[in-house]
Amino acid sequence: MNAPLPKRLWLWLAQTRVGRSVFRVGLPQSNLERSQAMVSSFLLHVQPAKVSRHALRASYTLGLGLISLYLFFILCGTGVLLMFYYVPSTAQAYDVMKDLQFVVSAGLVVRNMHRWAAHLMVLFVMLHMCRVFYTGAYKRPREFNWVIGVGLFLITLGLSFTGYLLPWDQLAFWAITVGTNIAGYAPIVGPKLKYLLLGGNVVGQDALTRFYALHVIVLPAIAGLMISVHLFRVRKDGGLSRPGEADDTSVESIPLAQLPTNKSYGLMELARGTTPQVGKNPDDEVFSWPHLVFRELLLFLLVIAVVLFLAIFWNAPLEEFANPIHPPNPAKAPWYFLGLQELVSYSAFWGGVVVPALLVTMLGVLPYIDRGRAGVGRWFARERTVANTIFTVCLIVAIVLTIIGTMFRGPNWGWVEPWGPPPAITEGH
Amino acid sequence: MNLPPSDPNGVTRRGFFQLTLGWVAGSFAATATVAAAVRFLVPNVLFEPGQRFKAGKPDDYPDGSITFLEDERVYLVRKGNTFRCLSAVCTHLGCTVNRAGKGYHCPCHGSVFNDEGGVESGPAPRALTWYLVALSKDNRLLVDKGQNVSADKYLVI
Repeated sequence: MNAPLPKRLWLWLAQTRVGRSVFRVGLPQSNLERSQAMVSSFLLHVQPAKVSRHALRASYTLGLGLISLYLFFILCGTGVLLMFYYVPSTAQAYDVMKDLQFVVSAGLVVRNMHRWAAHLMVLFVMLHMCRVFYTGAYKRPREFNWVIGVGLFLITLGLSFTGYLLPWDQLAFWAITVGTNIAGYAPIVGPKLKYLLLGGNVVGQDALTRFYALHVIVLPAIAGLMISVHLFRVRKDGGLSRPGEADDTSVESIPLAQLPTNKSYGLMELARGTTPQVGKNPDDEVFSWPHLVFRELLLFLLVIAVVLFLAIFWNAPLEEFANPIHPPNPAKAPWYFLGLQELVSYSAFWGGVVVPALLVTMLGVLPYIDRGRAGVGRWFARERTVANTIFTVCLIVAIVLTIIGTMFRGPNWGWVEPWGPPPAITEGH
Repeated sequence: MNLPPSDPNGVTRRGFFQLTLGWVAGSFAATATVAAAVRFLVPNVLFEPGQRFKAGKPDDYPDGSITFLEDERVYLVRKGNTFRCLSAVCTHLGCTVNRAGKGYHCPCHGSVFNDEGGVESGPAPRALTWYLVALSKDNRLLVDKGQNVSADKYLVI
């Protein structure tokens, strides 16, 4: 045998009595076994036995959804580790942060990983949404999966928001004060919602307990469930979107009512028309093992490596212990909320409630309004110029607002120029 | 696949009662569960600092002074023999406002208030709140943050 040692070792392990009981199919050697490897393994069966070449093109998806998923995994792993030390108490939470930094072995790295993975997840979920928009991948039959995606985007923001209260530092305290006050501006339910979120009228122990419960179980559980549905629908809606999909008449679904009633049907016949049809277009599909599985594994390793690299060289910020009397000046939210903070600095109701609610509603109903099916599966398709232009304008406005909030706002949220002299704070009580 | 036809005239008495019972029981169970869960989350007892506090003797505050009381997040304003108490909590999103010149500045989103608490500029929707000031039997200033008063209401000693 000329195969390298690890492969020989694997082959030997897989064919032992114990190995066969664990893996069922050994290292696949034939196309039959490649299919079997996918469908008979718990971890792999979520994915199809064959995928279209188009779906594997890194230049099409950029791997953004998968990267978001991997970041979620890293966040779950590091989050559970952090839970072994964290105490959701206003008196102890901040001390635990210091312990993680100075006392616990690798504590700093785990906290840094959690923080940077969280920032990256917000970023990559946004980028993933942009990719899906610019390739028109939210169109029939994937409309509802887009809606689930919008929900997952909100859950991701909710997870970051509830997460940064937990260190109980200045950022935590004042971000939650401002955030829950924004909730208070919501029509009719606003004040009640704020009271419910805080478990009282002030940001204190009850608020910390509630945000802790939301952060470590409620929101992750909802996110996990929605991610499962999201991935399930990717498969059921016919895999990743690809060009020419809409012109393919063989994938039109057959209304149930048109089927003759005098015979019974197998599941294959009742399945939706857009389910990948094995053998329909043999040259366009390849076996998931190894083409998909190993790409995914490689990307996972890459994501872990990048997060680890960031965590080793850059420390997660920790501001001073929460001071309920004085907010820092300026009091700034994390970057992904600074566009919103800039809007709120004009009007809490319009900028904090109306504009975000309108944006989310627009995103949610988008696939039901923009129903043309031209240009699906290609980046920046010319047939989609109008939609792409509107989306790009919104995106640029959001980016400009974020840049203003990040770089051009100083003490008292006043205008500063990042290249100018540092502004002096002259006022006190 | 041979389901009975859905003819409204074909509704049987038994079918009608079964359907009604199912809907009533189902909606009751759903409503009760959600209502109980939401109500459970609304606390009945709060362990928060009280709304009323004593702010010391009137003479602790010199004439014409505006004093920030940290723990209560209020400004005590004395002019001659009149006393007033102004909330330092910004009406926009709850940050603590700072004294600046003749008025107050909010560090979070840049609201500016004049010395009467009125909004000069910025996103604040309302003027800062004035609280009721009274004199206790032992001759101390007594502030009630649960009672808002208009800006022209003074305690005169």
